[in-house]
This record gives sequence, structure tokens and C-alpha cells, in this order.
Amino acid sequence: MGSKINTPWHRYALIAELALSLEGKSHQFGKTSLQKLVYLLQELKGVPTHYRFSLYTHGPFTAQLLGDLDLVEALGAVRVEYVLSGYGGYQISPDRELAPIRGKASEFLNENKTSIDRVVEEFGAFSAKDLELRSTIVYLDRDVKRSKKDLDRDDFVGLVKKVKPRFTEDAIAEALGELENKGYVETRTT
Amino acid sequence: MTPLYIRDPIHGFIVLDEWEQEIINHPVFQRLRRIRQLAWTDMVYPGASHTRFEHSIGVMHVVTRMFKNIRLRSEDILKNDLNYTDGGLDRVLALVRICSLMHDIGHGPFSHAAEEVMPTCEASGEAYQHESYSAEAVALMEDVINHPTNEKNYGITVQDIKDFLNGEVSDENRLLWRNLLSSQLDADRADYLLRDSHHIGVAYGHYDLDRLVSALMVAIDPETDVPVLAVAEGGWHASEGFILARYMMFTQVYFHKTRRAYDLHLSETMKSLLREEAHTECRIEEHFPPPTSADNLRAYLQWTDWRVLGLLHQGKGGDHGAIIRERKHFRKVFETREVPDKADLEFSEEVCERMGDKVGFVDKAEKSWYKFQDKDIPVLQGIKGPKKLLTPLSHLSSVVQGLKSVSQIRIYVSEEERKEAEETIQALREAHKGN
Repeated sequence: MGSKINTPWHRYALIAELALSLEGKSHQFGKTSLQKLVYLLQELKGVPTHYRFSLYTHGPFTAQLLGDLDLVEALGAVRVEYVLSGYGGYQISPDRELAPIRGKASEFLNENKTSIDRVVEEFGAFSAKDLELRSTIVYLDRDVKRSKKDLDRDDFVGLVKKVKPRFTEDAIAEALGELENKGYVETRTT
Repeated sequence: MTPLYIRDPIHGFIVLDEWEQEIINHPVFQRLRRIRQLAWTDMVYPGASHTRFEHSIGVMHVVTRMFKNIRLRSEDILKNDLNYTDGGLDRVLALVRICSLMHDIGHGPFSHAAEEVMPTCEASGEAYQHESYSAEAVALMEDVINHPTNEKNYGITVQDIKDFLNGEVSDENRLLWRNLLSSQLDADRADYLLRDSHHIGVAYGHYDLDRLVSALMVAIDPETDVPVLAVAEGGWHASEGFILARYMMFTQVYFHKTRRAYDLHLSETMKSLLREEAHTECRIEEHFPPPTSADNLRAYLQWTDWRVLGLLHQGKGGDHGAIIRERKHFRKVFETREVPDKADLEFSEEVCERMGDKVGFVDKAEKSWYKFQDKDIPVLQGIKGPKKLLTPLSHLSSVVQGLKSVSQIRIYVSEEERKEAEETIQALREAHKGN
């Protein structure tokens, strides 16, 4: 019969790469930021990670990525530590085996280097809360397109507001404008 | 109609109102009596013959206990932060009860074992999962969903239930409540750990449900201001027990090497059966019909354990069907550690490559539907300024912190290939020692 293992080294290498790229750039590169950045890489840049995201309380989420993070930590490529500053939370940073794990998928990292650099540059400095809003906007944009709903811009802002009521309409409109200007979401007319 | 009391082996009496009785009596729900909860687990644990029917009723009961406790503990947040009235909360309870009851109606024969033969969704490019079938099958039950009890009290629509089951949740509050059915701390897991342990006769899945339920609450995440499902500080050891129960059940039952072999044999068997039965219904080559029309759904729902067993009894199902009939499953000849290191992963790739066509199946822990990956639960602990702090259980508990996601890989071969495969692997190990 025959069957292959297909170890997803590219996923492990991507986690390691993000830890390296965001060192010093991210306010706190934690588990929430990792979820949102990988989601944005997959959706905005088509980086083929093949994670299956669903909308949860804090925006797009997949448990599979947490499983991979655990393994990448066990492989010694990243360190995941709890920090007490601010409201606390986990911080992901490079560890001793970073280079060998990145090396296992160097072709993948090279092929997607421009996309990874771009997402890190554009979204890497955002807080988890800001990433939550932006990734949720992208998720809802894709969902509206998939279900062929005809929404104008105000309707769409209203939809985001229902899912993320803690953000003001101005903050939603501003984040939406940023994403529209970059061509990441559909520009809807008012 | 008077309330119905169902005696349940895990929770004692479970009470259903007349609307819920109508739903249970519907043929789409009654079909769950013919879908076993744990597929062919009885090949290893003979007691594992319970069905999705009793589990679904159990989930509805657990979700009710969870919701009622949250309402007691978090009334202030629910009414003042989330703007609920008592009537609004009654409606939420009715919705989560109905959705819990119906969450598994779309399972294929032998539950998750059939998931491998689901077709790909054109829009998303990903395979459908049973949740999509559950959500679409709700429409086939419209007559009982529009029951007078619902129409007069709650106004819950078919679309409300579909959206909840599909995860297409339209507002923040529903996202919160969906966690009761789909999260690291949901009623689904809370029920199946206890129920599966009971039926198969193990203690691995036992935990303190009463304490866990009594500690559940809604809290506002101070970092994002989002309402989340959390556990009061006093309940964190009960949460720890729950996570440990998941880990133990995964390693000892759900990812048992022989149990998994039968999941894999069933997937292959189903492909054969779908080919052999192609004349009877619309279908995609070796896959179930997609849940895109009422006709497709009706054709899909014809597939139950009974139908598969009948076809197997007729000698159908190809080579893998014969393997199931004769209990001559493929044998595990290689496995990595539960949390493999780089050398482990590379060695498994080498073994697989060396064995080539002799490999029967490759199985990975992450492919299992019961995979042990998300294990964090927010615990309310202390106060910082005007806000309460939420601390992840994995930070509070050194036990949970030490539990890593299981990423084990296994290689199986047929009984005939076993000896040769073991010799090949041994030779490879010796070659590595020599290097």
C-alpha cells in the first residue's frame, strides 16, 4: 500500500522563524499573537500552512497550532515562558535549536520570505488586542464573500461591531481602512 | 405532554420538556441509536458499545448544569456587562440545550472513523466535517424545531441552530456560549470522558464534574476586554483533573494502537462500500455526498453502523472489510515517543522510506479527533487595579505545564509483512548505533 509521513517541518520552521523575526519587534509575541499572525500569513499571503481556523472568543484560532508550538518548544527551537509584566501571558522567543529546525524547511522559508517579512513588518508590532481585531475583520470578510452576502461598508462595520463590541466603530473603521488600502479585504461602498 | 425523565448511567435522571421530546423522537435523532460512540473500540475494550444517542442527551444535561452555575456565579457580568435580561438568559439556555442535543446528528457510521471519507468543500477547499452535516441536517427537522413551546417562548430558528453548530456565530455573546459546546472546557468532553470510561470499564476519564461545574463562570479578560469562560480560583485543581483525564483517555483509549488500526481499516472499508453501493445514491467517488442539498443529506443519513454491518456481513467492503470481519488488523511495528525529538522524527521518516510499499498505514496523534493539543483554561486569580486577573491553568499548575501535546507517529504493516518490517527497523537501528 505505502504511505508517507510528511512531517510538517514547514510549520515548525515557520513558528521558529516568527520567534526570530519578532524578537525585539513585538510588544509581546505570545500564543494569541502567534495564532493571529499565522492566520494572516495564510489568508493574506497564501502561505500554505493548511491550518483550519475557526472563529473563537479572541478571533481566528486553531488548536493544531498550539500542538505544533508545544512540539517546537520540545524540539528546543523556541522558548515559551510566562511573563508577569502587564497582565501577564506567554512570550515566545528563539531557543538553542532554532537554526536546525529552520534548516529543515529552508526552501519553504525562502519561498515565503517576502510574505513573512511583510506580515512581520505590517502586523508584528501590534498588541494581541489589535491583532485580534484585524484578524477578525479578515475572517469576517472571507466569510461574507464565501456566503455571498451583499453588505455595504456600514453593514460590514456593524457586523464586526457585533462580534467585537468592545472596539469602537471608529477603531473598527480605522483598522478596516488600513486593510482595505493594502488590498487585504474587499473595499465596500458606503 | 408531561416532562420526560430519562435514566442515564452517568448523570442519573435527565429531564426533557415536550419540545425536546419531539426532537428526540424525530428519525434524524433516533438514527443516533445506530451510531456507536467509539467505533470499533470494542475490538479492544468489549464494553464500548454505547451510542451517540445517549451521549447527546448527556451533553445537553451537562451544558444545562454549566449554564445554570455560570448564571448564578456571574449574574452581575451577564446583566451589567453583557446586557442580558432574565428572559434573554432563558432563551440562551434553550438554544444551548437544543444545540447540544443536536450537535452530533451529522455523524457518519462509526462516528469519527467515517470522517476520512467526507468530501471536500468547494468554497473552502477543505474536507467537510460531521459538524457541517449536523448543521445542514437541522433543516430536515424544521417541523419539530418550530414547536409551539419554542415559538411561544424563545423564537429559535433553524438558522440560529445551524449557525451555532457551524461556528458561524454572529455576535460576541454567542461566541461566548459556543465555548460551552466547543472549547477546552466544553460539555461534549465533560460528558464523553465520564461516559466512555464507564462503558469500557476504565477509570482514566474520571474527574470531579461537580466541582468543575460549580467553579465555572464568565470573566472579562483584562487584556482584551472580551468575555471568556473561566474557572474560579477554587476550582483549578478540578480543572487540572479534567485535563489529566483527557490526557489519560487519549493515551490509553482514543489513541490505543489497535483501536486506531480499526479506524484506519474502516476508512478503507468505507471507500470500498461507497464504490460498491454507488448505484444507490448520489455520491462523489469514494466519498459521502456533500451536505449541499436535502437529497444529498437524506442519502448520507442512510449510512449508519447497521447498514455498514449488513454490507460487511454480505462479504462486501473489500480487503479491509475482510480484515475487520476476521479481526486480522494491521500491526504497529514502529512508534516514536509521545513527544518526539528531531532525531525521532527523522528516524521515523527513514523507516517509512525504507519500507516503501510495505507500509500499511502511517498514523499521527494529531490526526485523531480526540487529539490532546489545547489544554489551557483561564483561572480567575487575584486583582490588578480595577480588574480581575486571569491566569492560564498551565502557569498555575506544574502538572499541566509538564503535559505536552502528544505528537506520536506510528507505522503499521499487515500481519504477513510484520516479521520482515521488524527486521528492517532493527537493522536501521543498529546502523544508527554504529554511526
